[in-house]
Amino acid sequence: MSTARRRTTRMRSFAAAAAVGILLSACSVSDPEAPASDSGEGGGGTFNIAVGIDPDTFDPAGQTTTTVQNMVDYVVETLVTVDEEGTVSGKLAETFEVSEDGLTVTLGLKEGVQFQDGTPFNAEAVKFNLERIKDPNLTVPLGAPFEVIESVTAVDESTVEIKLLRPSPGFLSALSVTTAAMIAPGSVTAEGNTNDNYQNPVGTGPYTFESYTAGESVTVQKYADYWGEEPHYDTVNFRVVPEAATRESLLLAGQVDMIILPPVSDLEALQNNSDVEVILGESDRSIFIALDTLDPLWSNPVARQALNYAVDKQTIVDSVLFGAAEVMNGPMASSLFGYCETGSYDYDPDRARQLLAEAGAEGASIDLLTPSGRYVQDQQAAEAIAGYLREVGLTVNVTTSDFPSFLSRVNAPHSENTVDAHLLGWAPPYLDADFQMQMFRQANHPPAGLGTAFYTNPQVEELLARADVETDRDTREQLYCDASQVIWDEAPWIFLWTQSFPVVHSADVTGIDTTPTEKFDAIYARPAN
Amino acid sequence: MKGTAAHIVRTLLLSLITLFGVSVLIFLMLRVLPGDPARVLAGLNASEDQVARLRDELGLDDSLLSQYWSFISGVVTGDLGTSARTSRPVATEIAVRLPATLILAVVATVIGSIIGVTAGVIAAVRRNSIVDHVISSVAMMGVSMPVYWLGLLLILLFAVTLGWLPAAGSGEPLSIVLPAVTLAAFSTALVSRMTRASMLEVLGQDYVRTAHAKGAPPQTVVVKHALRNAFIPILTVISLQFGALLGGAVLTETVFGWPGIGRLMVDSIGARDFAVVQGLVLVYATFFILLNVIVDVLYVVVDPRIRY
Repeated sequence: MSTARRRTTRMRSFAAAAAVGILLSACSVSDPEAPASDSGEGGGGTFNIAVGIDPDTFDPAGQTTTTVQNMVDYVVETLVTVDEEGTVSGKLAETFEVSEDGLTVTLGLKEGVQFQDGTPFNAEAVKFNLERIKDPNLTVPLGAPFEVIESVTAVDESTVEIKLLRPSPGFLSALSVTTAAMIAPGSVTAEGNTNDNYQNPVGTGPYTFESYTAGESVTVQKYADYWGEEPHYDTVNFRVVPEAATRESLLLAGQVDMIILPPVSDLEALQNNSDVEVILGESDRSIFIALDTLDPLWSNPVARQALNYAVDKQTIVDSVLFGAAEVMNGPMASSLFGYCETGSYDYDPDRARQLLAEAGAEGASIDLLTPSGRYVQDQQAAEAIAGYLREVGLTVNVTTSDFPSFLSRVNAPHSENTVDAHLLGWAPPYLDADFQMQMFRQANHPPAGLGTAFYTNPQVEELLARADVETDRDTREQLYCDASQVIWDEAPWIFLWTQSFPVVHSADVTGIDTTPTEKFDAIYARPAN
Repeated sequence: MKGTAAHIVRTLLLSLITLFGVSVLIFLMLRVLPGDPARVLAGLNASEDQVARLRDELGLDDSLLSQYWSFISGVVTGDLGTSARTSRPVATEIAVRLPATLILAVVATVIGSIIGVTAGVIAAVRRNSIVDHVISSVAMMGVSMPVYWLGLLLILLFAVTLGWLPAAGSGEPLSIVLPAVTLAAFSTALVSRMTRASMLEVLGQDYVRTAHAKGAPPQTVVVKHALRNAFIPILTVISLQFGALLGGAVLTETVFGWPGIGRLMVDSIGARDFAVVQGLVLVYATFFILLNVIVDVLYVVVDPRIRY
């Protein structure tokens, strides 16, 4: 007994010492004498960014994750960009025009632009790239929006005509995705590259690809002949650091200038630290609980509304997500074109109980599946939600699994579906309601797509089918708004929140922003003074 | 020595059967895992057509037997296949990361062995003294402390607060210090406990008393008479630990952003990248077998009485 007691005492004093250590380090400031970026007059130096994901491919066409796209975006550029209002503006294409029937898109290219290998950026290069991402023999994970391309013609050196199989109002926005970025046609056969295994990207961007050290870092160098505004830093170094707390330490130790995705539990401490600046970027990733709308119990919209009223979303955002999200007030993120506010399901457990009784679902039992570590505090949030659902008399069983297993369960046909409800996140790669609305269409029910609530409604299908081919911007926006209202009222999901995309950088640098597609915008980062 | 050589040859031949068994096991285990590699690879937004095309490309629709055949016939000719996730050859993916893991495991094992054996010997010689208690309780802590927590504490202290060492990566010579120390914590503790136990056993033997009685200096008795005889179980623990470090450095590699094969394994399992996981498991198995052979030889060196 006495040994045990002694051991406990020892452990306790060690714990105290450790706690003091943590406190000390939490109070400490980063070493001002060791800035990570050494910047000379009028540019130079290295800018260090810590990211969490080891890149899988540098081929723009092969992109899936936004973090990797973010690195590739330093080297390659797209024809157009989309701003936060969903407005398309030109980049490598100075002008873009859609014909009245919506079937022809004409691009006027910026002249005098050269790829980093010295070859000209022209209509032929655009043709090459757009045909490449349509090539059935190439794996293009985000290639769906480009399947509508019928043909691409180089009219003259700087004019490209794209024929579409059918009108596709979201097509121009889709051209802003890294997938459709322009690589030098000759580079697919140049040193170390093949068309299938394209590892050394050559584009028109402000930086050239320098090196990739597996599991460690990616380095890009300033491209001297860049056509646009010259960035400040000569070198940008992306460091691959999977652990969020380590990324935070690198920043606090002054060993990097910027990190993405710090531990959310430390957001407040970081916000109070004057050595760093926190950007809680708006994101287009909506987080929701998809309900099995074909289940006899949950096929009743009233029962599903009850679940929406039962959960106090704001409290979960504040206390479980540490404020790193915004409660949804429509079935999509507000940054998407086609969004409109459709209402709110304010926390009302009494109403929830009453609606459950009305729908005959009182005391029902729900199997809730959640991924773990895929979205901000996903499993923790699912546990909190289960707690609220139990409070209104439901029996909730929360299970989790790794993401591939999770996916195989929710992406199964309904006959094989074994979950009543699951937490999922959805982030359209370009800021248009089209991609979000796939979630509510029959054509996208698993296994064909990820419409995992198996939701369909004739009115919604009709509105969305019209929006698919509507070329008038305002009319199309209204169609999405109308569909949103129906979906919101029918509640195929427990609508939760749109996630924030936190970026933290040293207070010594400035010019850093984020985009709603969960990317950072730091190409024009520069010293604060 | 001739017997030893024959033993090694026999062991290596038998290990071929082991490797075959390992290859079948890992092949089947991956196939029963839920999760469609093509769906994971194609991404959430991919169409059913794209997924089907990818399944075909990866050969996932072929029979298990033909999938295994194409895997194992590749292995025999030295071709581990292509990573579905990165399109790079599996052999390259492993080769560029293997040195980092090996260096980390070797340095951690050296630290763990030197400190562990020294501490264990001291604890045994000074049995039940304050020194013994301190060593034992520190060892207890080393065994029970989660690598994650220890790693983050070390980063906070040495990188953030003191600013002496890099917090992550492998770019600078000093980068290895924190991950190696973190990784060594567990094995140091284990080795010291094993050394202490083994030494205590030997120190009670008659020949040790005889050595003392004939007037040999205490250090000589401890190091030459006792430690050498106590060393077989210690060597076993060290070698097993080294093997475990090769495979078990995943957490350390993650915390410190160390670019080794542990993280490659985790990333590849997460992406259901079968070819890479299979290749890595075969590499691990081969290392373990070689390690066992080396330890067998070391046994003979440490204790000439051992014959095979």
